[in-house]
Amino acid sequence: MGAEQAWVLAAIPAGVFLVLALFGRALPRGGDYLGVAAIASSFALFFVVLADFLDTPGKLGPVVNDIEWSSIGDTFDLRMGIFIDPITIVMFAVVVTVALMVNIFSIGYMKGEPRYHWFFAVLQLFAASMLMLVMADNLLLLYISWELVGVCSFLLIGFYWEKRSATEAAKKAFVTTRIGDVGLLIGIILLWKEGGTFNIQELIHLAEEGHFSQPYLFTALAFIFLGCMGKSAQVPFHVWLPDAMEGPTPVSALIHAATMVVAGVYLTARLLPMFEVADGMLLTVTIVGLITALLTGFMALAQTDIKKVLAYSTVGQLGFMFIALGAGEPAVAMFHLMTHAFFKALLFLGAGSVIIGTHHNQEMDRLGGLWRKMPITGTTFLIGSLALAGLPPLAGFWSKDEIFVVLEHRWGAWAVILLGISAVTTAFYTTRLFIRTFMGRPADPHVYEHARETPPVMTGPLVFLALLALTSGFVVFHDVGKALGFPGGITEFIFLPHHGPHEYELKWGFAAASLAMAVVGIFSAAWMYWGNDLRRSTALANWQPGIYDMLRRKFYFDELYQGMIDRGVLGFSYLVSWFDRYVVNDTGVDGSAQITGFTGGVLKYLQTGRVPNYAMAVALGVIGLAIAGLVVRG
Amino acid sequence: MVPLENYLALSAIVFALGVYGVLARRNAVMILMSVELMLNAVNINFVAFAAYLDPDRIVGAIFAVFIITVAAAEVGLALAIVIRLFRNRATANVDEAATMKW
Repeated sequence: MGAEQAWVLAAIPAGVFLVLALFGRALPRGGDYLGVAAIASSFALFFVVLADFLDTPGKLGPVVNDIEWSSIGDTFDLRMGIFIDPITIVMFAVVVTVALMVNIFSIGYMKGEPRYHWFFAVLQLFAASMLMLVMADNLLLLYISWELVGVCSFLLIGFYWEKRSATEAAKKAFVTTRIGDVGLLIGIILLWKEGGTFNIQELIHLAEEGHFSQPYLFTALAFIFLGCMGKSAQVPFHVWLPDAMEGPTPVSALIHAATMVVAGVYLTARLLPMFEVADGMLLTVTIVGLITALLTGFMALAQTDIKKVLAYSTVGQLGFMFIALGAGEPAVAMFHLMTHAFFKALLFLGAGSVIIGTHHNQEMDRLGGLWRKMPITGTTFLIGSLALAGLPPLAGFWSKDEIFVVLEHRWGAWAVILLGISAVTTAFYTTRLFIRTFMGRPADPHVYEHARETPPVMTGPLVFLALLALTSGFVVFHDVGKALGFPGGITEFIFLPHHGPHEYELKWGFAAASLAMAVVGIFSAAWMYWGNDLRRSTALANWQPGIYDMLRRKFYFDELYQGMIDRGVLGFSYLVSWFDRYVVNDTGVDGSAQITGFTGGVLKYLQTGRVPNYAMAVALGVIGLAIAGLVVRG
Repeated sequence: MVPLENYLALSAIVFALGVYGVLARRNAVMILMSVELMLNAVNINFVAFAAYLDPDRIVGAIFAVFIITVAAAEVGLALAIVIRLFRNRATANVDEAATMKW
């Protein structure tokens, strides 16, 4: 099997999905071993594909394999296929690794839950759709996969549909991303209308040749970017992701941290050559990323739910990736995407381990001191936290540092300063999260007493991901990359052809600044919360209650949207319902009935019941017709 | 030979008598008899046209025979109705049978 057959990676989980969805209930243990086996075989086959890809004679050229899907006459020919280049390879690596870890972890996490087999079935469907998404060579296939992963996300957020909050969250996620998805569809149609093809590479080629006019290209790409923003939860579409934490925690790790939410980043990276052709598009991407990174950094400060903190952190880190794309550097964005996927999946699975270990507690106000009770979870969580905070030599440091470098190179110092604030808040809330969960005085002795470490099926994936969080940053170095078979680290592996490879070099000034930001954030949080002592933070909150309230309620975005829905949507609905009631119903429907009734009321007197009257009418009618006939014929 | 117009005039007179009978009479039996007059006026027309316009074929005459047959059936049915009416109302006056209305 070679890279041309990479579709098998997606076909295996898709087949297992069908088996689990149809027969899972009857299988022993809900068929979870089938799910794990499917992902494990995709994981193994990934390395086959990777080896074949690295051996391709064209030396890292894209691998294309497409078939005719449907054609209408000679004019319309729809081809579908797979396209594999380094960006796809990185996405493959992320998806199969995290999916495998999450599947194994779920065996422990979902034990004894209702609809156990269904959970594993949807995980397989998700893995299949996500793998299809990243290897689609045309926008139509990509859009289909895009919607499929959205459906999986909806199904899994609402997995506990007995809970009202879960169904509400699922609905919110679906509707919010839908708004973006409509934009994506419009964008795809616009590109197809002018370019005549769905094939991504052909479209990029057309754009670079100047086939599209500037405003047209900008409009189409802006619509596509709207879809990316919705999927990747960028401001102002970020509101669905924190609520999505209603789903089971492994789902949060897989879908809402590592893979599905980065689909927007992936699509933007894939279309980046077009974004560069359209004036102003990259600046738009940068600004959206900056605003998101800044705002969510502050929103996470006052959250008390472990998973919510991680959710806001995810949104912020996605903002970091968009910033790298806005600087025109897909390699850096994909690098951060990869490291973030590993350490954020680790953090989410760690949070899941805490939830199981403390019998379903995820409020920091009731946790604390858990490191002593859950040493493996605590240690791996610490590694993930430090990676997120950006402390060297953990993975997050290298990728975040690269983002600062390319951002300064492209847009100058102002952007770096804004992003620096976000980096400080990231380090701050991460440290706060760790201290209040794992260190110091237990906030609730009862919870602490009954806490216990989780079984190996859950700690195993944690340890594996912790190792990746420790080491995956090193692939950026030339020598490490060479040793692994990539010619020259990740930044040379992934590059746009016309950019040419650029060799990674550590810029000491940026590294020092980046380290300083992480240290400032970590130490100020440690000073504030050390020993899980809330006196200082409470004093701070009481000193400026307005600001605290604003942070706790996430800059009032939810209230704003609720108000918009209440006033705008419901106001308009009121108008429509008035029109329906008084114009359509009372005038249109009732009115015609009344006219008929009135006419009938008058005409009924013609029916006398006397046969001679009718006979007279017939006779007069015939005479009348005869006269009329004579008159007409002259 | 008697000209065709005479037959047509006779037919028209008989038909008009029938119409007058239907409209003016109040007794159901008399109305039925007037209807028979109208039918026979039509029969005269048929036979006259058949004899004058297309003597080789007897299409018109056959139609007349059909009409006689149908008229017999119609009278049978109508008389049955009249008898039911008379049994119920003790009259055959059509003005009295005026309950089928709004």
